[in-house]
Amino acid sequence: MIINHPLLGPRDAAEFIYLGDAALIDRPDWQAEDAMQQFHDYAYLRDNPAGPHQELWYHEQGDRSWLVVTRDTTTHDITDVQLARDVARSRGRDK
Amino acid sequence: MPEFKLISTPPLAGYDQTFGATRLHAPADLAIVSLAFPLGDENAALAAVKSAYGTDMPEPGRSVVAKDGARLVRLGSDQGFVIFTHATPDAERAVAKQLNGAAYTTDQTDVWTGLELAGPGSRAALERICPIDLHPDAFAIGHAARTVMEHLGTLIIRTDDHAFLLLSASSSAQSFLHAVETSLSNTT
Amino acid sequence: MTQTNRISGGQIDRARSISFTFNGKRMTGHPGDTLASALLANGQRLVGRSFKYHRPRGIFTAGSEEPNALVQLRSGAHQEPNTRATTVELFDGLSATSQNHRGPLEFDLMAATDLLSPFLSAGFYYKTFMWPRAFWEKLYEPVIRASAGLGRLSMQDDPDSYDKGFLHCDLLVIGAGPSGLMAALTAARSGARVILADEDFALGGRLNAETLAVDDMAGADWAAQVVAELAAMDNVRLMPRTTVYGAYDHGTYGALERCTDHLADAGGKPRQVLWRIYSKRAVLAAGSTERPIAFGNNDRPGVMLAGAVRAYANRFGTTPGQQVAVFTNNDDGWRTAADLAAKGVSIPAVIDSRDAPAPIDIPGIRHIRNAAVMDTVGRKGLKSITLTDGQVIEADTLAVSGGWNPNVHLTCHQRGRPEWRDDLNAFVPGANLPVGMAVAGAANGALTLAAALAEGQATATAQIEALGFTPTKTDTPRAEDEPSTSQAFWHVGESRKRAWLDLQNDVTVKDVKLSYREGFRSVEHLKRYTTLGMATDQGKTANIPGLAIMAECTGKTIPETGTTIFRPPYTPIPMGALAGRSRGTDFRPYRLTPSHNWAKENGATFVEVGNWLRAQWFARSGEKGWRDSVDREVEMTRNSVGICDVTTLGKIDVQGRDAAEFLNKVYANGFAKLPVGKVRYGLMLREDGIAYDDGTTARLSDNHFVMTTTTANAVLVFRRLEFARQCLWPNMDVHLISTTDGWAQFAVAGPNARNLLRKVVDDGHDMSNEAFPFMACGEVTVCGGMPARLFRISFSGELAYEVAVPARYGNSMMDVLMQAGKEFNAVPYGTEALGVMRIEKGHAAGNELNGQTSAHNLGMGRMVSQKKECIGNVLSQRPEMIRDDAVKLVGFRPVNRSDKVVAGSHFINRDDTANMDNDQGWMTSVAYSPSLGHSIGLGFIKRGDERMGEVVRAVNPLQGSEIEVEIVSAHFIDPEGERLRA
Repeated sequence: MIINHPLLGPRDAAEFIYLGDAALIDRPDWQAEDAMQQFHDYAYLRDNPAGPHQELWYHEQGDRSWLVVTRDTTTHDITDVQLARDVARSRGRDK
Repeated sequence: MPEFKLISTPPLAGYDQTFGATRLHAPADLAIVSLAFPLGDENAALAAVKSAYGTDMPEPGRSVVAKDGARLVRLGSDQGFVIFTHATPDAERAVAKQLNGAAYTTDQTDVWTGLELAGPGSRAALERICPIDLHPDAFAIGHAARTVMEHLGTLIIRTDDHAFLLLSASSSAQSFLHAVETSLSNTT
Repeated sequence: MTQTNRISGGQIDRARSISFTFNGKRMTGHPGDTLASALLANGQRLVGRSFKYHRPRGIFTAGSEEPNALVQLRSGAHQEPNTRATTVELFDGLSATSQNHRGPLEFDLMAATDLLSPFLSAGFYYKTFMWPRAFWEKLYEPVIRASAGLGRLSMQDDPDSYDKGFLHCDLLVIGAGPSGLMAALTAARSGARVILADEDFALGGRLNAETLAVDDMAGADWAAQVVAELAAMDNVRLMPRTTVYGAYDHGTYGALERCTDHLADAGGKPRQVLWRIYSKRAVLAAGSTERPIAFGNNDRPGVMLAGAVRAYANRFGTTPGQQVAVFTNNDDGWRTAADLAAKGVSIPAVIDSRDAPAPIDIPGIRHIRNAAVMDTVGRKGLKSITLTDGQVIEADTLAVSGGWNPNVHLTCHQRGRPEWRDDLNAFVPGANLPVGMAVAGAANGALTLAAALAEGQATATAQIEALGFTPTKTDTPRAEDEPSTSQAFWHVGESRKRAWLDLQNDVTVKDVKLSYREGFRSVEHLKRYTTLGMATDQGKTANIPGLAIMAECTGKTIPETGTTIFRPPYTPIPMGALAGRSRGTDFRPYRLTPSHNWAKENGATFVEVGNWLRAQWFARSGEKGWRDSVDREVEMTRNSVGICDVTTLGKIDVQGRDAAEFLNKVYANGFAKLPVGKVRYGLMLREDGIAYDDGTTARLSDNHFVMTTTTANAVLVFRRLEFARQCLWPNMDVHLISTTDGWAQFAVAGPNARNLLRKVVDDGHDMSNEAFPFMACGEVTVCGGMPARLFRISFSGELAYEVAVPARYGNSMMDVLMQAGKEFNAVPYGTEALGVMRIEKGHAAGNELNGQTSAHNLGMGRMVSQKKECIGNVLSQRPEMIRDDAVKLVGFRPVNRSDKVVAGSHFINRDDTANMDNDQGWMTSVAYSPSLGHSIGLGFIKRGDERMGEVVRAVNPLQGSEIEVEIVSAHFIDPEGERLRA
């Protein structure tokens, strides 16, 4: 597979490490009332769609950036690649 | 006078071989210092680089050679390398002083080992290990890429039409040298 | 033997002769020959025995689809089995032997198998060898193994070298026949970067095998002219002898280039290169493959595909025989008759299954309409054929054409399915092609020359326009479309004798019908049940006729019946090419510590730790085994001072305004308030609360920390920190870079550690216990100004430091430390002594941090802060994770001190039966403690911290050991920590 890195252009997937569902960005608030339940869901529950899926890839043999890659799990068609840091910020993550 | 003296023995020191008309050698006294640009103060860091080296920090995936011969490489949005010739083990301090605290600096000199590949057979040899497209239209002089060659993380920089600087981890220098040597002997 | 079957013409170099041997017989051929064409030229018709029935077989095709002519090429360690004679380029000194027979090829002792054929139908293994059960291992399997298989391996190491590589292009053109050449030419003239690959050594495809004209010149000459133009262009890479064997995601293709297989001696260069080709677009111009018609005894040497017969005559100047009859269901078979007749070869008859006039006028030809061949005669070579009306025609060669199948294989590698075209009676590529691929020419069903040329040009034009190139105007070459109608006619129903479909696997029409009767009707079941389409040729000539017969049985159409799924590789890839260079010591990279050379010179035995080679122990003369060395290293370290290279621990430089707060989030214990100049032990958890990694982190300045990780997790921890930094807390000013390889780091441990280091660390650095206490750190200089880092940390439990210098001074530093330590009798120690000392001290390591244990289990539960946000602290408080009766890490010593504790033992209470219901925990790490003089262990046991002094049994049924052990503190040595604070 080829991942079109937003800064570096197309790179072989062999340079990357796959993590999984980009929902891992949405780490719950540790002080929430139901933090235990939220963290349980965060750590263990994932969607497993047959179709477009937002997932985390790490450019380990490259610039060490984490990417959010939108990939169709049935065709490997990649429709979007963003820096995970930008995605995290856009989802309101802060310090 | 101190009782003991330390001797420098970089892993590939003195290596110099030719394969046909192509030369592979380990450049002496190659110093590498990483720069990280503070969040929110990137512009100040870039300005400090410019005033120290007389040239703009290039875009990610590119490198430039400053007036003093140092090569500035941009590896990502907030990280770069300064590669220069410097014999003593204080390269980080030298760079930090020039930047006056505008960027975080880390000595990377001994993290890496360098090989310079120059000559008409360079690209054909690298085709055997390098997944990056090295056609001059795709990877021009000054272009830089971190990638993987024979399982080893490698930074490749095109320094001339037929010349490349390769940097890989110093602990696996022997495997790295073997990979490049084998490519050359297989294609020469 | 002489070249009795040479005829005029062809693209062989008759001025030069090449000598080769087949089964020891000396023969000659010419440059430009394949082994098959040279064998035919020499009149060698019988070239092998079939897989199952040991039937005599001859050359059937002229390409990579060959099912029969598999030979062992070369000899000794270079021997390669199952090589297709039809693709082997002849070289001087080539030696080949036939396969799959006992005794000489002409009198195979296994040929009796053929007489047993009524018992050996499809599925006979499953039916015959079911009982008695006990016979399988002792009798059936050995006999089957001895008789099965094709060629033999040399059983020696492969002396050849192989390589891999990466190529990039705008347009990859697969196949250099008429459409491929036009596609490449169109794209190349427009400035696109083009790779043109073809499995053959001569580019041109069928143009080399036909007498068709292009631009008023011979097709082969036109091809040569185009190839010459392409070869002169910088933007074109011509790759003959290169099979593009697989289409992968996003325009990536696998290709095997045979670099030196056509040479007698590879000259030390790789034999083959396995390429990964990254293309922006591709044109598949893979041509088509002719298929046979099934009839009785259609497997005899001399029965060949018509297009192959024509290729031997036109390209190789060879006729497979002197009387060549033709049996066809289509117009194309006629051209074999026409071309051979023109060269003066006798054509006894053209038998056409259709009731139609001759599509090509051949003077004096005997045309038998609406007829078919029912049987043949000639055990080791065809003598005559019998038609359905009973008439017998003498012929030594029968050229059979059952029509042509477009080579759709690569179009299906991404799960695309082909579509049936009734007008062609063949499958063509479907709509769902791999990304970036387009198909042209015969592979796309354009089976005639003018159509193939035009389609190659048009397809390439569209492909490069999509990439933004402006095609240069190129005239389409002049050519004609040859007649090409065909009939759906698959097998001759009148045949009583076995009619072969898959020659490589000895599958007959009857076997397919049996498969139908027994319920194996899906094509995938048919394949597995009958083996139709398996092995080296993957049924390239056999599959479609097999499907057609299954379709007849089921009453479905062929497209309803469908094809099996095409998977890479298109043709076989040698294992050596897949391995490439990764053999022996080059199997993977290795990493050396900075003091590796010193260790080597000083008697170290090395151990692989991940990719690292680390000194395991340093043997001295007189020591009888590793334990002697390790015990001595421990004792000398604990008594005076020892030195160990600990560079392999991961080191991560952490800088930034928010560095302290960041560390506070990734470690379970507090780091925000770590003072400058201090080191702290840190425990990392996974988000689920399980312990992940540990190490020490030093604060060098307000915004600058150095983290260490375990050797094993260095890369993984770095990855997790980047995840935390970029994905979880993206607005922190924190920056990470690995410095593992940059610093040579040495543990200096033992009561004399300070005294030793005082000699090395430059004056002006106060080394006193007050100024530089336990867990202090700082930047110092050593040996007269060398920048160094000093950490007062201890893994051994002794007064200890770790000192780091730039890695290039590491080998020298080891030497200096040993010289400075001479007066203290300093000893180098390896990983074994390191391990013994950490067990004596009760430090957890990989065996304890095994991904199943929590901080609570490790006795570090209170370290996990609940007052801050950090990874893992929420889920670490789940009731199950903090239960009172959880296992706890404690020490164990044998009640009988001479007993040896065994790692992996499970703990059972004294009076309980040893079973899993009574399991109390397990032993994780064990060592012989030279300091205590007996065996000791660390392990997890329920409520261990409350059971000091209790005796339990350590049971290890796997090793048959059971001893009594006493639960003790994990800190066997200096439990109060007085030594390390000294």
